[in-house]
Amino acid sequence: MRESPSRSWLPLVLSVLSLLLIVSSEAGLLSPFEGVFHYLSDPLQRFFAGFVAGIGNMFSTVRNVRALQARVEELQRQVDALEAENIQLREIKAEVETLRAQLNFVDEFPILAYLGADVVDRAACTTYPCGEVIGFEPNPYLRYVTINVGARQGVKVGMPVVSGGPRLVGRVAEVFQRTARVQLITDRESAVAAFLQNARTTGLVVGQPDGSLLIQYIPQDQPISVGDIVLTSGLGGTLPKGLIIGQVAEVLQMDYASSQAAILRPALDFSRLEQVLVITAYEQMPPEGELPAGPSGGGQ
Amino acid sequence: MLLSLAIPLLACVTLTQNVVLTRVSLWGARPELLLLVVLMWSVVRGVDEGVLWAFLGGLMMELFSGGPLGAITLALVVASFLSGRVLRVDLGSPVAGVMLSTLLAVSSYHLVLLLVLAWTGYPVDWLDALFRVAWPSVLLNAVLAPFVYRLMRWLERRTRRERFTL
Repeated sequence: MRESPSRSWLPLVLSVLSLLLIVSSEAGLLSPFEGVFHYLSDPLQRFFAGFVAGIGNMFSTVRNVRALQARVEELQRQVDALEAENIQLREIKAEVETLRAQLNFVDEFPILAYLGADVVDRAACTTYPCGEVIGFEPNPYLRYVTINVGARQGVKVGMPVVSGGPRLVGRVAEVFQRTARVQLITDRESAVAAFLQNARTTGLVVGQPDGSLLIQYIPQDQPISVGDIVLTSGLGGTLPKGLIIGQVAEVLQMDYASSQAAILRPALDFSRLEQVLVITAYEQMPPEGELPAGPSGGGQ
Repeated sequence: MLLSLAIPLLACVTLTQNVVLTRVSLWGARPELLLLVVLMWSVVRGVDEGVLWAFLGGLMMELFSGGPLGAITLALVVASFLSGRVLRVDLGSPVAGVMLSTLLAVSSYHLVLLLVLAWTGYPVDWLDALFRVAWPSVLLNAVLAPFVYRLMRWLERRTRRERFTL
């Protein structure tokens, strides 16, 4: 191994420079420069991501013809089952709308009528910015992705991001001109107000270091079961209500604790995330206690 | 090695890491190509070039990170320094020595990352982070290190300036 004459001050200087970077960044001094760097580097990343995706698609198509055929047949069976379920759900939806109209609730507190199957296909992209994931977080302890839509497409910090229908991906954390950074719900700093569909109770979903999800602060007296669907509750107004987060995979019940928790199986495989949709506008849930006082006396 | 060659090389490695390898997960760990490249360069070429590569590569990687700017750079510089100077272990076999020094250097990389995250207020669950993220990463990258070492050694020979003596 070749040994060049060592400049012993170089590692120390570079370490000090790195520390200065951290301090300056935390103080917000580097924000203007970050924007410039991203403006210059984002096209390169987008090009590279598209190039890699193209090569990947070429090889996977050639290799997986048989697997794709089987997958198509399986998906066709699922579509048939979902169509039948959809018909039932339309009936229920019609009944709900009738009841809401009777309570004079709809006009005063409109909900997210657009969420649902309409979000699945590209038609939604004419209303909301659709993007593709062009990069993942390099820090192994953080969970972010970079998408190729940014301020030019109307994306702003805090906007919810979904994929594969109304499945919650996360929230926009940083916005640049042509790209944005999305904090995934599996990030340790992410906290999502959630609602268990079967148990009809609320909790808080947080990310874990290995990328899994944990729902906590569920009252001890509420029975929760494996398989229960977890949705966003809309409380706090930072996310729309009804977005799918995941499913209960394991219940963590400790008799001595004041609340119970559960491990969730996320609704999305975040390592295979490709296309996302940014929700740029939604109606917030009314604050608790401010129910409408309609002709029937507000929900009586 | 000339910066005019090092910078594009590091840029390619960074993009490959960010666009391709971050999707790869083997038992909860992922290959850290940029980390391995700077560690092995520090081993084959010396600490000074190694830490310089670590600094430049780290800056490039920071552009794609949502964490504190400078965290990855600092972690790479420290790991590269340790790999090239302090942790070079001679076990008789270059492969075993490279693997062992990589084990220790990658551990230091994760430790520095966690310390910076904790220092900047990020919630760090130390036990979870060390056992479910750091340790699998250390093992996986130690296994991959000999391959990257051979590649860096080849590159070092190709870019070495020849000196003739009479």
